Formats: sequence, C-alpha cells, structure tokens
Amino acid sequence: MIVDLGDPARAGGDLVESADVCVIGSGGGGAVAAAELAEGGRSVVVLEQGPYWTGADMTQREDEMLPRLFEEAGMRQTRGGAITILQGRSVGGSSVHNLCYAFRTPPAILRLWREEHGLVELSDASLEPSFARVEAGLGVVAIREDEVNELNRRIRAGTRALGYSGLVTRHNRRGCVQAGYCLLGCSYGAKQSVLVTYVPRADAAGARIYAGARCERIEREAGRVKRVIGHALGRDGEVRGRVAVDARVVVLAAGAVASPDLLQRSGIGGPAVGRHLHLHPSVLLAGFWDDAFHAYRGIPQSWYVDEFIDLERDPHSGVVLMPVSGFPVLTAVNLPGFGREHFALMRDYARMGGLLALLHDRSEGSVRSGDSLARPEIRYALDEADRRQLGDGVRHCAEVLFASGARRVVVPYTDGPLVLHSPREIRALDARPVREGTVPLASTHPQSTCRMGVDPLTSVTNAWGECHDTAGLFVADMSVFPTSLGAPPQITTAALADRSARHILARFG
Amino acid sequence: MAPSHPRLRATRRGFLQLAGTSAALSGLGQLGFASLAPAARAAAGPSFFDPVETEILTQVMERIVDTGVPEAPRVRDTGAVACVDLLCRSLDPAHSAPLPLALRLFEWGPIFFDLRFTRFTRMGDAEKDASLYAWMNSRLELRRLAFRGVRNLCLLGYYSQEETWPLIGYRGPLLPRRR
Repeated sequence: MIVDLGDPARAGGDLVESADVCVIGSGGGGAVAAAELAEGGRSVVVLEQGPYWTGADMTQREDEMLPRLFEEAGMRQTRGGAITILQGRSVGGSSVHNLCYAFRTPPAILRLWREEHGLVELSDASLEPSFARVEAGLGVVAIREDEVNELNRRIRAGTRALGYSGLVTRHNRRGCVQAGYCLLGCSYGAKQSVLVTYVPRADAAGARIYAGARCERIEREAGRVKRVIGHALGRDGEVRGRVAVDARVVVLAAGAVASPDLLQRSGIGGPAVGRHLHLHPSVLLAGFWDDAFHAYRGIPQSWYVDEFIDLERDPHSGVVLMPVSGFPVLTAVNLPGFGREHFALMRDYARMGGLLALLHDRSEGSVRSGDSLARPEIRYALDEADRRQLGDGVRHCAEVLFASGARRVVVPYTDGPLVLHSPREIRALDARPVREGTVPLASTHPQSTCRMGVDPLTSVTNAWGECHDTAGLFVADMSVFPTSLGAPPQITTAALADRSARHILARFG
Repeated sequence: MAPSHPRLRATRRGFLQLAGTSAALSGLGQLGFASLAPAARAAAGPSFFDPVETEILTQVMERIVDTGVPEAPRVRDTGAVACVDLLCRSLDPAHSAPLPLALRLFEWGPIFFDLRFTRFTRMGDAEKDASLYAWMNSRLELRRLAFRGVRNLCLLGYYSQEETWPLIGYRGPLLPRRR
C-alpha cells in the first residue's frame, strides 16, 4: 500500500500507526531495508517526506522535474552558498535521479574502516552476500559497448590518448532506450532505481508506505526507541495532519543531511551526530567541440577515469573524472555570468560536453538543525590539501577534454570564465586557485554525518548501524560511512542497509 | 531609457520600510532569510509575486538572459516569468519567502547600495547591467547570494521555455508536453 498524504485529491487527516519497524526515508537505503524487513515477515511502515511520483510523472522537463525530485528544487546549498547539494526528495530518494554508476565499496576503504575506525565486522567476506543481493535487486549489469554515448566515447578516446586509466562501468538499467534523461527521472521504467525495484517489493510484502509524511522527532523510553512523530504535508508544505508511528525498531534513512538533523532535534546520537560531513565536492568544466553532437543524448555516464585515485596507496584522498552533460537549465546555471557573455557560451550548447573532477575529500563539515525544518544548516570548508587536489583535478579535466577533441575549455570561475584554447594554456590555472567561492562546487554524495564506529564520542552508530545511545534505532543511509567513500555510493549504501536489515531480522525475532 | 512601470512609483514611506527591512536582512548573512515569516505569502492569492514584483522580475530576467540575438524570444513573449512564479508557489515557504524582498532590493539596490538616484526598472539596459554586476561582484556575501538565487531562477524560467531551445540547438524532450 502506497499512500501519498500530500495528494491534493486526498483529504487530510491524522495518521496513527504501529508496526514492528518504522523506516524513515524511502531512498537507496530505506527502501532496501523496508523490503528486506517486510519480506522477512515484519510489519513495516515507511514514512517518506517527499511525494510519490511514478515513471508517468517523469516529463523530461527541467522546470517540472527539478522541484519534484530535488530538495529545494536543486538549490540546496552549504552556508555561504559555495557548494550546491543535490539530494532527492520523493519516494525512491536520490536513486530516482542518480546516474547509475554501480561500484562496490573499494576494498581499501573497507580496510580503512576496519583498521582506523575499529569496525572489524566489516570484512569483505561478510559484505559479499549483501553486495550480491543488492546487485541482483537493482539489476546491476555491465554497460554494453553500444550503450556508451558519444560524449563518453570522446572522453574515453582522450583518456586513452594520454595513457590514463579508466573503465566502462556497470550500471542498474534494464531495457534502456538511451533517451538520456536519467537525471530527471526515468520515464521508461528502465532505470532500476529503488522506485521500481525495492519499493514495489516492500509494497508487495505488505509494507505500508506513506509519502508526504515529515518526521520531526524520534521518541525513546528507557534507552529504547519508541515512537516517530511528525506531520503530513501537502505539496506546498502546508500541514494536513499529524503523524505518529509506534515501533519497536526505527530505521532512519533520510540522507546525510536530514538524518542528523532529525537525531539532533530528538536529542539522540551523542556529540558526533552531524559532524564529519564529507561531500565528494566536484567542479565541472565545459568542453566545446567543432560539431554539434548533442552530449545529452544516450546514457550520461559510462566512462570513469580513475587515473588520479589510488586507494591502495592512499585511502584518504584522490580525484576521479566523470563525463557529464546537462539540459539547458542545468547547463545555464552552471555557466558563469549573465547576459551576452553568458549566452556566448549557451549558444554552443549542442557542441558542449562536460567533465567533472570529483574529490575524495578528507575535509569535514557539519550539519546542524536550522530554524526551519526545511532548511538545516550545512557548513563545509575544504582544507588546503583538498583545494590543491581539486585544482589538480581541474587541470586534468582540461587536459582530457583537449585530448578528446575539444577546441575550447571553459573553467567557470565566478568572477569571469577562464576560456582555454589549447593544452598549453592550462598553465593559466596556476594563477587561478580552485576553492569555495571561486568556482561553483556541487555535491551529490553528502555522507558520514552519523558515522559508524566504536567510540560513542566520535561516532553515532555501531557496525550494524544501531545508535550507540538508543537501542532499536538504526541508521541506514550514506551518513553511516565512517569516511569519504571515494567512489559512487549507490551499492555501498544499499549493501549496508541490506546488512542492517538482516541483523534486525536476526536480533528482533 | 526603459519605461517605468506605473506600479513602481517611489514613495518615501516605501523606501524607508525597505531600507529598514534590508538592514535587518543584512545581519542574517545567508540567503535563507529564514527569520522572515514563512506564512507571509499565504494570502498572496494565485500568483506568488505581486504585480510590482512581477515587473521587477521581468526586467531583471530581460537582462540576465539578454542574448543580443534579434530572433531570440523576448521574455515577455514567453511563459518564463509565469514559470518562475509557479515554481515559487510549489516551494516550501522556508525557501521561497525571501524572494519577493530580494526582488524589491534589486529595484532599490542602485539607491540603497550604489548611491545612484534611480531605481532598477527606470534604468537603461547598460545601467541595469552595471547594477547587476554590482550585485554579482559585491563584497557582501548576502548580495552575491541573492544575485545568484535570482539569476538561477531567471535562467530556469527562460531556458525551460521551448521557444528558446532552437536558439541553442537543444532538440528537446522525447516526450510531448502534457497539457
């Protein structure tokens, strides 16, 4: 049963429920946990703050899809506005708009988590069954050669010409028509997001799934979780009723911004909650080719440049490069300036393709409850080493774009774009630092704000995702990562949620 | 010189109210402006922006998306401003509440910040561009953030209009728009 409490056609009213398990959030962690727990015979209630959209609602139009699928219509920012954070806000969460890279947790990162964070339970062998289950559940397969789109082919050719390492990745699509609108939600049911995989499984197993249900506090009694309370919200944010769910177990999977916000509002989690935020911040460079090749058509990301990250040598840092294309609005807002200067870049939209440098960040930020439930305060600043590394990533992006055939490369400095016309001009970047405020930074992978660990003073949950200070309260989203992951997080998030769900089934008989 | 909109006549009282509000605003240090009452727009009727704000938004958008290309669709001939209005109505009030005030600050910015004795909507194109550059490059973080927020809304409104797509070579969605 999936009910959208915010549906204008539905009358408002209170929602009072009880269940074995209440899952908060229906994204890449919450939906997996909900399905596993419901299929394991537990009564499950899922509360999702965002609306319930299906493939039929995915219109491929930015003005309609950005507010439907993204928190703050895609304009969520860190304090000071330096970094834009893209997070999902509907049933299916960020899995609805992600670009389907499907990487397992790098072994070096699991080793780091065991050796430096005491999480000895997180062995490769213990996670293998979870990886296998979620890859099957999400339909992960290799990307075929005929599915590599023109932009990714060009970037691949440039990468190889320079002798750099890269790979065609795996993804979770089935029957993809290669329309290219993955970022705006799949209209064809081909993207195997949790919206079309785990959510239907949870529904079929009897989970009661409520969209438009905002959780505002988790209550506990004698050190155990007891109840979740909040409000039903309409599409424009108006309150339509009260929400209260009594549960023996609560799985919090609202993402690395909302999860620590909710814990802080509930007085749960200890001193580490909301701290240690990592963002995988990225900078996007635009390349311009001679021909109009329409980079936005086809699977957006299939090639992945891993030349500049070696987690076995240094598990704490590195940069990966990813091809990226945007639709007109997303492209326009990522290009600097306004008026004719801005249009001078936009007019070559059909000749444009992007390459972004994504940082495996050591820098840490924080999430604190703001004075509005809809606007937590997110602070983040890059340290000098990370700034240098991101600057190196920008240079490598320019280098690869030129090697891929681009005639111009634009670095979108906010005080005026830097236009490079040949690889020789890349040295001009030496005089233009890359840091917060000088170029637009973006994040699609906020993480680590309720991190796993063994010390309640420096971590929020144990190796199973259970909060140190509240029995029966589990966290199952990217906020449990002890460090920056250094890889696309979809499979790690799902696998850790699967693992937590299995643990709950075993422990709460 | 661009014609002045009849709803945008200056009054001393209006200016003082705005100056007071913006002084309080400057202390917030963030475009969130979250201390403004989220319910302030609840009684605004079917449109999010009132006619005065709509005119300011239209004229700001005309400069933000100026192409210099004669065949480019004019902002007033498209649904770009209505698109922004609709978007703002759909946002949580905590996010959208600051926008009307931000627009009025754009209108009064030349007087308030730059000591130029004219309002945005009474300026010529070059003056308007200079005023917008002052916002974009301001030393005040608040002004830069407000500029970026309004700029991005203008770009969203304009480049989501199908009439603009041939101008940039975008072939458009594969699905027809549902009416």
